[in-house]
Amino acid sequence: MFLSDNAFFFLIAWEIMALTTYLLVSFEHEKEEARNAGVLYFVMSHIGTGCLILGFLLLFQASGAYGFDGFHAIGARMAAGPRNAAFILFLVGFGIKAGIVPLHIWLPVAHPAAPSNVSAMMSGVLIKTGIYGLTRVCFDFMGPPPNWWGVTVLVIGTVSAVLGVLYALMEHDLKRLLAYHSIENIGIILMGLGAALMFLHTGHPVLASLALIAGLYHTINHAVFKALLFLGAGAVVHATHTRNMEEMGGLVKRMPVTAFFFLIGAVAISALPPLNGFVSEWLTYQSLLQGFGTTPSLIRLMFPLSGAMLALTGALAAACFVKAFGITFLAQPRSAHAAGAREAAPTMLVAQGLLTAACVFLGLFPTLVLKLLDPVTQQLAGLQLSTRLSLADGWVLSGAVATGGTVSTPGLVLMAVCLLPLPLGLWLVFARGAKVRRGPTWDCGLQGLTPRMAYTATGFSKPIRMIFKALFRPRREVQREYDFSPYFATNLRFESHVEEVFLTRIYRPLNWLVWRVSRRMRALQAGSLQAYLIYIFVTLLLLLLFAL
Amino acid sequence: MNTALSSDIASQLIALLAALMLVVQLLLVVQRMLLTSIRLFALQSLFLAGIAGVVAFFHGAFHVYVVVVLTLIGKVLFLPWLLDRQVRRMRIAQEIEPLVNFPTSMLICGGLTLLGYIVARPFTSLERLGNNTLAVAIALVLTGFFLMINRLKAITQVLALLTVENGVMLAAVALTTYGMPLVVELGIFFDVLVGVMILGILVYRIRETFASMDTSKLSQLKG
Repeated sequence: MFLSDNAFFFLIAWEIMALTTYLLVSFEHEKEEARNAGVLYFVMSHIGTGCLILGFLLLFQASGAYGFDGFHAIGARMAAGPRNAAFILFLVGFGIKAGIVPLHIWLPVAHPAAPSNVSAMMSGVLIKTGIYGLTRVCFDFMGPPPNWWGVTVLVIGTVSAVLGVLYALMEHDLKRLLAYHSIENIGIILMGLGAALMFLHTGHPVLASLALIAGLYHTINHAVFKALLFLGAGAVVHATHTRNMEEMGGLVKRMPVTAFFFLIGAVAISALPPLNGFVSEWLTYQSLLQGFGTTPSLIRLMFPLSGAMLALTGALAAACFVKAFGITFLAQPRSAHAAGAREAAPTMLVAQGLLTAACVFLGLFPTLVLKLLDPVTQQLAGLQLSTRLSLADGWVLSGAVATGGTVSTPGLVLMAVCLLPLPLGLWLVFARGAKVRRGPTWDCGLQGLTPRMAYTATGFSKPIRMIFKALFRPRREVQREYDFSPYFATNLRFESHVEEVFLTRIYRPLNWLVWRVSRRMRALQAGSLQAYLIYIFVTLLLLLLFAL
Repeated sequence: MNTALSSDIASQLIALLAALMLVVQLLLVVQRMLLTSIRLFALQSLFLAGIAGVVAFFHGAFHVYVVVVLTLIGKVLFLPWLLDRQVRRMRIAQEIEPLVNFPTSMLICGGLTLLGYIVARPFTSLERLGNNTLAVAIALVLTGFFLMINRLKAITQVLALLTVENGVMLAAVALTTYGMPLVVELGIFFDVLVGVMILGILVYRIRETFASMDTSKLSQLKG
């Protein structure tokens, strides 16, 4: 699909991809969940393809050929109406594949249902095809964009990022959590693309290139660390036979290598230096913060606003992975499955190790990789940004414009290494003689700690659930059975739910409407020969009368 | 014989025969008895053969004689005989029950004939033979279609389809001086023949399965 230079072939490849993914999602077809997920994916994917076909037809009207070279900058020659329609169609079509809010609902269903290696591939490659398509269309085909395109993409990106991470925080299914993080990261990528579109509109090619590169670099990075995390989650699920985090715990002792790799991935996705997630998010920040000065209109408020949202996203992502890592790997095992877990097979570890190495490499030496993105900016703005981005022979990453900041991940590592003697020295001076004493964890005077007392995933995310109450609409239900006092319950049942607003407010009513309409339509196909003949006959008569 | 006079006679004859075809069609619409319907169809085909014969004789188009012979053997003799035998063998009720009652169907068919004339008007200059042959042909197709909708028994629908085919044949003769190329005509003819035989078998099967020929009961097949 990436190689096709023709709309027809592109769509065929696109469909082949969708079909094979459907088969992969419903790979474990004996489970009802996997089948439903497959069907949901199939339906959403086809709605997207329908939009794409319409969009390409609109482009075809203007260019008269299906080749991509004929589409180049075709938007400049199109009237405003079809051009905007094409943009929206492509945004929806590719957005479904990429999983932007509110078209994301297939993602958290399909990812956990698929086998973990497939989820890694889906998150790393499949949803990126949506980004590829959107980039191709917006920057190659559509010509100079009107302002609201960039604003739309930026807003969608911001909303996706924040909502994605918020929903991820509420999950205690490890793979669903990662799926929601995919939505968040797609949002971050789109923030870069949206900002690039806005800069193109205001005529700042350097900043546009910077924002685009930030988005594309984050695309690469997300593919790497999300694949790593999914493989790690797959190893955990394989070992514990459950995806529910509440039943895990204590795995760091039982699967140390997996735990280490998962930790690296978690640090990378939380955008902590010096790993790769940090670099691309830093670039995104740079472009967003520079954006405030590019235009005098009120629109410029968008930039700091989405920058702030990006910061919020980063913080929440870090919180989420503290939870994911802490609940999964730390504390005591909460179930027999977790207690009996074994380290994953060496082949699984090798794959994770390679991706971990890639995470570190992409984090430490971004300037090398950014050179590869030069042709993109060359085509877009006619300038090669990598020379501006790298200072001091590539050891320092700069914000490309004079007012931009600089950062050096190798420098950070170097600094950490240089500072290492300090705690080491302190230890040597003060703690040398102290004896190490091992004792039980402080248990408030109770008789020993049980796994049931450990912090749960639900408990961890409670503060955030309360802060964003309006969004989550949490519902909880407590049933107590007691003999003489409610404080001494004999039996306790506790339930807590989080409402998925998009599912209940948009998709359910839509689904209901479609059912109703199709039930009405069924009367048309009555199975009566006479009725069918009448359809044909009436059509014939109408055509005859129309021709008169 | 004077050529102008002969072509005048030819077009008069063709117009007469075409008009008779239309009259037979309308009789079919209001016919209550199945066996009579089959005979009416045979009569209509006879008129069609007559038109083809007139064309062949007055314009010296000898290959059209083949069409005449085929029509006579196939549509006037063989197909009516086949349908007749089937009706008798299956001992089905003779009564035809239409969906729309006869006066109304008559009115509808009148409207359809009118429509045929209106639709054919732009093409009158193309007609080489007779007046309004094309209009009659279109009217035959439309009323034949209506007949198909208006009947419930599978065998009457086959009959209606055959009248549609007669209309198509008439249009072919009317629009081209010497009829269509022989190959096309042969093709259409055998199409119809094979089609009717298959339909005959299907009708038999439908009756076997549902103990009725009412195609509206086919809807029981759907889930």
